[in-house]
Amino acid sequence: MRWKRRKRSHKAEKVLERLDEKLNRQMVGSLLACVHCGMCTDACHYVLANPGDTTYAPAYKADRIRRLFKRHKDWTGRIFPWWVKAGSVFTDEDLEELRDIIFGKCTNCRRCSLNCPMGVDYATFNRMARGLLVSVGIMPEGVAVVSKDQWEIGNQMGVLKEDYLETLEWMAEELQAELEDPTVAIPIDKMDCDVVYSINPREVKYDPRTIADAAKIFHIAGENWTMPSEGWDMTNFGLFSGDDELGGAVARRLYEKVIELRGKKLVISECGHGYRSTRCEAPNWGKFDVPFEMESSVITMLRYIKEGRIKVDKTRNTRPVTFHDSCNNARSCGLFEEPRELLNIVCTDVREMYPNRAENYCCTGGGGAMSMSEYTPLRLKSAKIKADQLKDTGAEIVVTSCHNCVDGLTDLIRHYKLGMEVTQLVNLVANALVIEKAGVAAEQEDEVEVKGGEG
Amino acid sequence: MSELLHFSEHRLQEAALGFMGLVYIIRIFWLLSFKAGRERQAPTGLPGTTPSRGIFYSWAAIATPWEMESLRTKFLLYLQFVIFHVGVAVAITLSFIIPYGPGLLENGSVVLVTQVVTGAACAVGVLRFIRRVSNPYMRAISSPDDYFSLVLLTVWLFSATLAAPNSIEQGEWHLLTYFIMTAFFLVYVPFSKISHYLYYPFTRYYFGKTMGYRGIYPIRRVKRV
Repeated sequence: MRWKRRKRSHKAEKVLERLDEKLNRQMVGSLLACVHCGMCTDACHYVLANPGDTTYAPAYKADRIRRLFKRHKDWTGRIFPWWVKAGSVFTDEDLEELRDIIFGKCTNCRRCSLNCPMGVDYATFNRMARGLLVSVGIMPEGVAVVSKDQWEIGNQMGVLKEDYLETLEWMAEELQAELEDPTVAIPIDKMDCDVVYSINPREVKYDPRTIADAAKIFHIAGENWTMPSEGWDMTNFGLFSGDDELGGAVARRLYEKVIELRGKKLVISECGHGYRSTRCEAPNWGKFDVPFEMESSVITMLRYIKEGRIKVDKTRNTRPVTFHDSCNNARSCGLFEEPRELLNIVCTDVREMYPNRAENYCCTGGGGAMSMSEYTPLRLKSAKIKADQLKDTGAEIVVTSCHNCVDGLTDLIRHYKLGMEVTQLVNLVANALVIEKAGVAAEQEDEVEVKGGEG
Repeated sequence: MSELLHFSEHRLQEAALGFMGLVYIIRIFWLLSFKAGRERQAPTGLPGTTPSRGIFYSWAAIATPWEMESLRTKFLLYLQFVIFHVGVAVAITLSFIIPYGPGLLENGSVVLVTQVVTGAACAVGVLRFIRRVSNPYMRAISSPDDYFSLVLLTVWLFSATLAAPNSIEQGEWHLLTYFIMTAFFLVYVPFSKISHYLYYPFTRYYFGKTMGYRGIYPIRRVKRV
């Protein structure tokens, strides 16, 4: 009997062809090194929330990708595939099944990577696998829609330029009224500024108050700052979709805008994936050597306080708060002490969450999960771990430096009826700001002078 | 000593070792043929977290179980890991001592320690096999290679325990078993999961470098009071 080669669909062919382009040494190491020790199992919130379902185990999910590598690249897998559970993809259905694992059962939170004794970075090659599927158009609907918006409109929520500018104008007016100062402004496209401030389109669409709060802080600090009229979105769906082309292109828009404005520093508003993409990953995706400094707004606010440029009164934030570390900030960018330091300066009752920092659990909305409505029931079920963690703190407010986490946490708080609020550091800092009115300060100075004269 | 045993202790081992070395060299060149990813961005994290610190911290993971949640919370499994791997190291050393330094085994204490360590590792091998078979998560991720490698090593450790006295008074079968198994083990290793020790320095180097550069390693945590 003649051996017949099983036919592959065009998409399956392409996925395997592109696997070569995606592999680098770090990834190959991770694909080779797993010993199936199972130590990563309990690190995953999906496993903990779905006891008994072995298909959530990180090593099991990783093996769905690893089997392709073994079958097509590794020598044992090529000769004796059954011996090492190597396998391939043949049909579009195989790819769709893979999609449900890499998009639906993992938020790329990197917690298992940190808990792997061998140093296998599953999150990294899960993202690589996402990129492979996206390259042949297999992805959750939401990922496709958001990616398209980011390619075409320039931001992930499809916010039009006029809406964006109008919102900034509106926020500037609100601020003028609040500070009773008609000169307060949100400068647009101002050249040669010390700070160019970039935001998440969610702020324009759903949470413009964060823009006003940031503007207030910049104003009080006397910062020479601006916001770009275009290329202002610091979020990057390339991180979630695994599409390095998109990731590089999106970030390049922002970098080039800062260069055009001759800005000295790019400040990135509180957003875990935006910070990670813009600050850490996109220079690699886009092969772009960024010629200016980049900083999280958390560090900027902390710096203003330390430099005495703004004064805060923590007694304005007295309700018990806890801090949730965004996976992208804590496990991929090392940003976990600064937000705590700032929180302790602006709040009176800060309660730690356990585990914390790089060991914290995902809000379950990460990895683009908030845009994948087909997996919402799964996401909310796995959110039980986070819900228990939040409840344990006894706090009334959860603070996080990530817009994605704000949405993920809000959703799970509603689902598990925790009755907590979610806020960001910028809101708390703005609320704690001590604003000395120019007139009052001048009068006080006069008073001192007069008294001094009398003495 | 029979010719067969002499051949097994020397020529067979040398050939198997040479084969393993050659395959490993090819493997390392193959791994290095993949381009290493480059970090273009400025470092993140607190001062004092550097790539080199990250690399050393990462390499030390094997000996610092308190630093990794998965090892910290499953200390018994970690202990099993230590006993098993120390046993393997001792059994490998034994395969050099018997042919090249048999005098060492004239010391009864050395033999006893070798037997205790390899015997304990063999017992751990049995425990690990039971875990792999009985735990549904372990079953789900296990391949025939995982089972075979574990059984192979466990039986080999048992044969090392028997071979440690290096005595042929009761016959040569135990020494023959040990050396033939060692040769098979050396030839099989590069094609199996057992070669993970070759990858450990690579994976942990690159992971540690990234985590150090980005200020995540060394891990910082605040414990519950």
